[in-house]
Amino acid sequence: MDRGLYIAASGMLSEMVRQEQISNELANANTPGYKADRSAQAGFGELLLQNTQTGSVVGPIGLGVQIDETKTDLAPAPIHETGNPLDFAVEGEGFFAVQTPAGVRYTRNGQFTANAAGQLTDSLGNRVLGPGGGPVRLRGDGTVAGNDIGVFDVAGAKKEGDSLFTGNATGAASGRVRSGAIEESSTDPTRTMVDMMSSFRSLEADQKAIQTIDDTLGQFAGQVGAVG
Amino acid sequence: MLGGLYTAAAGMEAQQQRLDAVSNDLANVSTTGYKSLRVGFRDLLYQAPGRGGGAGTQTGSGAAATVLGRNQEQGALIPTERSLDVALTGPGFIQVKAADGGIALTRDGSLGVGPDGRLRTSTGQPLQPPIQLPAGTDPSEVQIDSDGSVRVGRRQVGRIAVVNVTNPDGLQAEGDSLFRPTAASGPVSGARGTGLEQGALESSNVDMADATVEMMNAQRGFELASKAIQMQDEVLAVANGVKR
Repeated sequence: MDRGLYIAASGMLSEMVRQEQISNELANANTPGYKADRSAQAGFGELLLQNTQTGSVVGPIGLGVQIDETKTDLAPAPIHETGNPLDFAVEGEGFFAVQTPAGVRYTRNGQFTANAAGQLTDSLGNRVLGPGGGPVRLRGDGTVAGNDIGVFDVAGAKKEGDSLFTGNATGAASGRVRSGAIEESSTDPTRTMVDMMSSFRSLEADQKAIQTIDDTLGQFAGQVGAVG
Repeated sequence: MLGGLYTAAAGMEAQQQRLDAVSNDLANVSTTGYKSLRVGFRDLLYQAPGRGGGAGTQTGSGAAATVLGRNQEQGALIPTERSLDVALTGPGFIQVKAADGGIALTRDGSLGVGPDGRLRTSTGQPLQPPIQLPAGTDPSEVQIDSDGSVRVGRRQVGRIAVVNVTNPDGLQAEGDSLFRPTAASGPVSGARGTGLEQGALESSNVDMADATVEMMNAQRGFELASKAIQMQDEVLAVANGVKR
């Protein structure tokens, strides 16, 4: 009986994780190169119930759910022109590479700037890498040629924050660098709002299930047990 | 558990910063030599959500905005026919001496003559190196050549220093159209290929249409994030409502 309480509670917990992801999605609706996350929910596995007296099989019962995996949708998003010489976008597949203190990281966010040595950096000051892995130097007029910037294919790209992805570069990618433009966030506000509402209703349903089970247990304890 | 609230709040804060930058741009749509701000966005740390999520799950912590620097695009030249107005054509700055004796840079070329007879900016900073006009010079007799040479009649009295830094995004804005070189901007050196045009001023490079669209976009982003906060609040209310 009380198993149902925990199953419904696991549903609530996983919907709350989903809501956190949706919050992040909406917060990044304007972050260039942001890639939307999709969460996959999975059951904990099933248990075969048997009648304790006769041993006859009642059937399988789930043990609850959890968000099993976050999948980042790496599909390219629309590119828009900004006219700013240090804005870049990857047209097609591939990532820019930057040298961070923790190693090489990859990004699709091409809002770059420069450092005092005249090298191209990301907004946090990490040097952007060229096709050969060296730093990218600004030309005398403060611009950078698109093909001076490396675009890499990355296996196992995983978000780390600060618009960076971890992963392993597997060579040059087919994508082309476009300067004076940025890739928009791939958050789709409409879809995300719908996801948010539907997840909220699931959460409410789980809460109702908990309350109903709790009522049943209350009646069980209060009425069935009452004498006379 | 309360993470989602802060994630959405970070998103609102980022949009607020962008709105601040656009407001500043719009306020300076008529400021001589003003360069519009560039706001960069990034997402924040991803981490495992704890209960409710498996090992392959991670949730983000929102977004952040930073001012990356300025759009250094040339502003349009407006002829003023005033002899002490100069506009820079190309990248670079006019070098002036700030009140604390340090060097400051500006693109506002509406110059004037101080009580000591030296050329100075409209906010009172003398040019560096100083340019002393002979006593009793009528400002309309001053000739400024495209290389910065300042002449009164046939006599050259000085040269306006046009300088630049390696990374203009690293300059620190000080207000009064002044910028200070910093470690991030690199040292000041002579600008190559940048001329001066006498009798004109460089207008602000803020594009009203772009700035307005940007503002609307930021407002919508702000609304989206605020909807997420409301929803997070309701989620927590439902969680609290489990026990009636």
